[in-house]
Amino acid sequence: MSIQEKSEALPILSMNSVEVLYDNVMLAIKGVSIQVPRGDMVALLGSNGAGKSTTLKAISGLLKAERGRVSRGEIRFDGTDITEMLAQKRVEMGICHVIEGRRVFEHLTPDENLTAAAPMSMSRSALNAEKEKIYTYFPRLAERRNSAAGYLSGGEQQMLAIGRALVTQPRLLMLDEPSLGLAPFLVEEIFGIISQINRQEGMSVLLVEQNALAALEIVSEGYLIENGRVVMHGTAEALKANSDIQEFYLGGGEGTDFHNVKHYSRRKRWLS
Amino acid sequence: MDLIFLTELAINGALTGLLYSLFAIGLVLIYKASSVPNLAQGGLTMLAAYVVLALARDVGMPLWVAIPLAALLMFGLGFGIERVALRRLAGRPVIMILMMTLGLDIFLRGATLAIWGGTSRSVELGVGYDPLLLGDIFISRIHLVGAAVAIALFGAFLVFFRSRTGIKLRAIADDYMASWSVGISVERGVGLSWALASVVAVAAGVIWGEIQGVDQALSLLLLKGLTVAVLGGLDSILGAIIAGIILGIVENVGAEFLDPLVGGGSRELIVAAVLILTVMIRPHGLFGRHDIERV
Repeated sequence: MSIQEKSEALPILSMNSVEVLYDNVMLAIKGVSIQVPRGDMVALLGSNGAGKSTTLKAISGLLKAERGRVSRGEIRFDGTDITEMLAQKRVEMGICHVIEGRRVFEHLTPDENLTAAAPMSMSRSALNAEKEKIYTYFPRLAERRNSAAGYLSGGEQQMLAIGRALVTQPRLLMLDEPSLGLAPFLVEEIFGIISQINRQEGMSVLLVEQNALAALEIVSEGYLIENGRVVMHGTAEALKANSDIQEFYLGGGEGTDFHNVKHYSRRKRWLS
Repeated sequence: MDLIFLTELAINGALTGLLYSLFAIGLVLIYKASSVPNLAQGGLTMLAAYVVLALARDVGMPLWVAIPLAALLMFGLGFGIERVALRRLAGRPVIMILMMTLGLDIFLRGATLAIWGGTSRSVELGVGYDPLLLGDIFISRIHLVGAAVAIALFGAFLVFFRSRTGIKLRAIADDYMASWSVGISVERGVGLSWALASVVAVAAGVIWGEIQGVDQALSLLLLKGLTVAVLGGLDSILGAIIAGIILGIVENVGAEFLDPLVGGGSRELIVAAVLILTVMIRPHGLFGRHDIERV
C-alpha cells in the first residue's frame, strides 16, 4: 500500500470512547466511538437528548462555551489529536459546525454573514469568489443578499447557516438538525444541495438528524445513539432495512405493540 | 425672548450634546460588539484624562505626544480588561458582566483618588477661552473643537463597522455561539471593542477635562452619556450623534425656561426625564436594532 493510499484509508474524523461531562457532574455521552471516512457522508441518528448534539460539540470544541468538557477518550481529525484544541483552531484546521436552530447573524445581511465567517487570511477577491460559489449553490440567498438575515424564511436561514459554514473552507462539515421545522420540499432541496457539495468538493459530512428517513437517503452510513451511547452502526441500506430502526425512526414496521417495545429495549441494553 | 438668544442656546446646546455623543460613542462601541452596556466608561474617561495629565505634567511631555501615547496605553488597557476581568464571564448572564463593569468603575475612581488625589487639575489644551463670535452668537471654542472630534470619530467608526473586522464585531454582538462556530475569536473581538472604547475615552477625557477640570467627577459623565446612548439606541453610532444633539438642545433650551420656575437644577431633571421616557416609550431608542421577530 502506498503512502497516498494509506492516507486515504485514514478516516478524516475518528472519535474513540469519548465521554463528555457538563459542569463536572452531568455525564452527557458515555463512551461514543464514531468514524467519518474521508469524503463520505455519515449520519448520527437518535431521539431528543440522546447525545447527538453533544457529540458534535465535542468535535467542534463548542462544549467549552457550555461549560462541558471531554473527560475521557480522544478525538482525532485527519490524524491530529484535537481533543483539547480551541474551537477557533479547529475551524482553521477545517472543521465547521452548523449549530442547531440556524442561528444566523440576524442583524447582518446574508452578504455580511458570509463576510463575518471568512478567515482574515482570505483575500478580498477569494472571498468574493467564495460568495459567488455559495450563491450558485443557494440561488434564493442571492436574491436577498442585502436584507437583514433575521427576516429570511426558515429555509433561507438554514441555507445561509450552511453557506456561512462553507466560507470557512471546511473539510468536515457538521450539520445539527438542518431539517428542523422545515417543510418537506425544503428539506429535500437542502439535503440535495448538501450531497451535491459533498460530491463536487469531496467535503466529508457528519449529519445529525431526527428525520432519519431523509438522512438515510443521502448518507452512506449511520450511527444510532441512545442515552449517550452508540447502539447501532451500519450502512444506510442496512439501517433502512433494520426492523427496529423502521419501527422507531422511520415510522414503518409491523405496528408498535407492547411486545415489540420490550423486545427493542432488551436489544438496546444488549447492544450497549 | 428673542430669536437670536434662542438660537444661541440651541447651538451651544447642540455642541455640548455632541460632547455627550463623544462620550457615548465609547459605550456604543462596546455594546455593538458584545451586547454589554459598559458602566465603566465614565471611569475609563476619567482615567484617560489622568493618564494624559500624568504624561504631560509629571513626565513633562508636550500634549501632542502625551495624548497619542495615552491613547496607545489605554488601547492596551482595554485588551487587558477583557483578558483579566471579562474573559471568564463570557457566556454568563449579562447581569454579571454588568456588575463587573460597575465594579471596574468604582475601582478606577478609587485608584485615581489614591494615586493622584482629589484636587481638580486642568488640562490646559491652549484652545482659548474667549468665545467665538458668529454674527451675534457667542460660541465656545473648546466645545467647537470637541464637537469636531466627535464627528470625526463618528465618521471613522462608520467606516470601521463596514470593514471585515467591524462586521465580525457586529456578528459577535448578534450571537456568541454562532461566532465561535465559524471560528470568530469572540474574546479578541470583545477585547478590541474595549480597546477602541478606551481610545475614545482619551478623546472624551481630554475635552471634558479641559472644560470641567480633571477629577473624579469626570466619571459622572456616564449618566449623560448613557442617556444619549440609550436615546440613540445603544448600538447605533449615528444614533449617539443625533441623540447627543437632541439631548443637548433640549437640556440647554429647556433649562433656560424651567430654571426660573424651579429655582435651578432643572438640567438633571431634563436628562432624567429623557432617559426614563425613552425606556418607557421607545426602549430600542431612535436607531437601535430591534429584536427581529418573524411572524
